[in-house]
Amino acid sequence: MHEPRLDAELLHVFERVPSDASGALVREQSDGTVAGALLVEHGRVCWAMSRRYPRRLTDILVDEESSLSTAQLDELFALCRREHKPLGETLIARGMVSLPILHRALLRHTCEALACLVCDEAAPWSWVAHSGYGYHPMLTFSPAEVLAGVRAIIDPTLAARALARLTEVVHAGVHGFAIERGSGARLPLAQIGCDSIELTTLTDLAAQADEVMAVAAAAELDAAITELDGLACAAWLEGDLLFVLLCEDELAFNRLVAQVAAMTTNT
Amino acid sequence: MTALGELAGAVRDCIVVAWVDARTGEVVEQHVARSGPEVEPALDAAIEVMRSRARPQRMVLLSARHVHIVQRLASERRRVLVVICDRTPNIGFAVALVRAFVDAEAA
Repeated sequence: MHEPRLDAELLHVFERVPSDASGALVREQSDGTVAGALLVEHGRVCWAMSRRYPRRLTDILVDEESSLSTAQLDELFALCRREHKPLGETLIARGMVSLPILHRALLRHTCEALACLVCDEAAPWSWVAHSGYGYHPMLTFSPAEVLAGVRAIIDPTLAARALARLTEVVHAGVHGFAIERGSGARLPLAQIGCDSIELTTLTDLAAQADEVMAVAAAAELDAAITELDGLACAAWLEGDLLFVLLCEDELAFNRLVAQVAAMTTNT
Repeated sequence: MTALGELAGAVRDCIVVAWVDARTGEVVEQHVARSGPEVEPALDAAIEVMRSRARPQRMVLLSARHVHIVQRLASERRRVLVVICDRTPNIGFAVALVRAFVDAEAA
C-alpha cells in the first residue's frame, strides 16, 4: 500500500538538494540538536542517518553476509575510525564482503534511515554545502535508486514483483521503472538504468504514463508507446503495476513498439 | 482517390484513417476502409488519449485486436492523423507508413 504523504515528502527532500551538489541536508529538532541528515556528493546520495533509526550498517552486513560476525565488524570499524580509513573500501580490500553485498547493505541502511528521518516530526530541512566527502562513486546512489529503495521498504512484495518483471524486459539501451498503478504515487517501486535520468523527468514521465494509461485502459487498450521530445516511452499495465520503458536512440520508437507488441500478443 | 484513401489502402487490414482536431475532438476528414461498430469507439479512444496530453508527437496504442497509430502534424500540432487497423504482426511497417504520410503532409 502506498503512502502519498511519504512520497511527497521524499520528493521534497530531493528537490532541496541543488543539482550535482555536495553537502548535507540536515534536519534539526526544536532544541537545536540534529534529528538526522542526508549526505550527498555530486548529486548522489552517500549516507543517511536518523535519531529514530536504531540499526547500524554492521547489523545489516551481518544479516546480508552470514560469514561475518558483529565482533569482527566492530573491530574493523574501530580500526577504520582510528586510522581514518573508509569502512566500505576496507571491507572490500580485506575480502570480507563483496561489492554487490556492500552496495545492497549501504542502500538498505540509507533508505531505512531516510524513511525514518522523513517521518520525524522535526524542524524543516536545511542544506549545508560541503566540498565533498570522498565516497567511492560505486558506493553512492542516485536519487532514483534511493526512492525505489524506500518504496521497496514500504511494499516489499510489490517492489520485488516489479523488479523481477523489469529484469525480464529491460534490455541493453533501454531504461525501465515501475510505479503502483493509479494510486497517485509518482515514486518508482523499482527501476533499472534510470540513474542518469533527472528525478523531475522521471516523476513527470511517471505522471504522464499513469494519465495516458488511465484513459487507454478505459478503452480496453493495453499498452501505449509514445514519443516525447525524441524520447520513446512505452507504458503498459500488469495488475497493480504500471511499467514504463524508456529508450532514446534513433530507432527506439519502433523497437519499443515491436517489444511491447510481442509482450502483449496474448492479452 | 483521396490521400487518406491511399493511405488506408497501403496499411494492411486498415479500419479507418482520419484527420482529427485534438483540441476539440472533431473529426475533420476520414476514410472508413471497413465500416463496423468498432470504428466510432476506436476513434473516440484515440482522440481522448491524444487530448489528455499536448506533448506526444506520436503514439501507438495496442489493444488485443487493434492498433491505433496517432501522429501530430509538426506544422499544426492540433491536427492529428489517426490510423486504426487490425493487430497484425508487422505493426512497425504501418507505423513507418503513417510517419512518412504525415511528414509528406507537413512538407
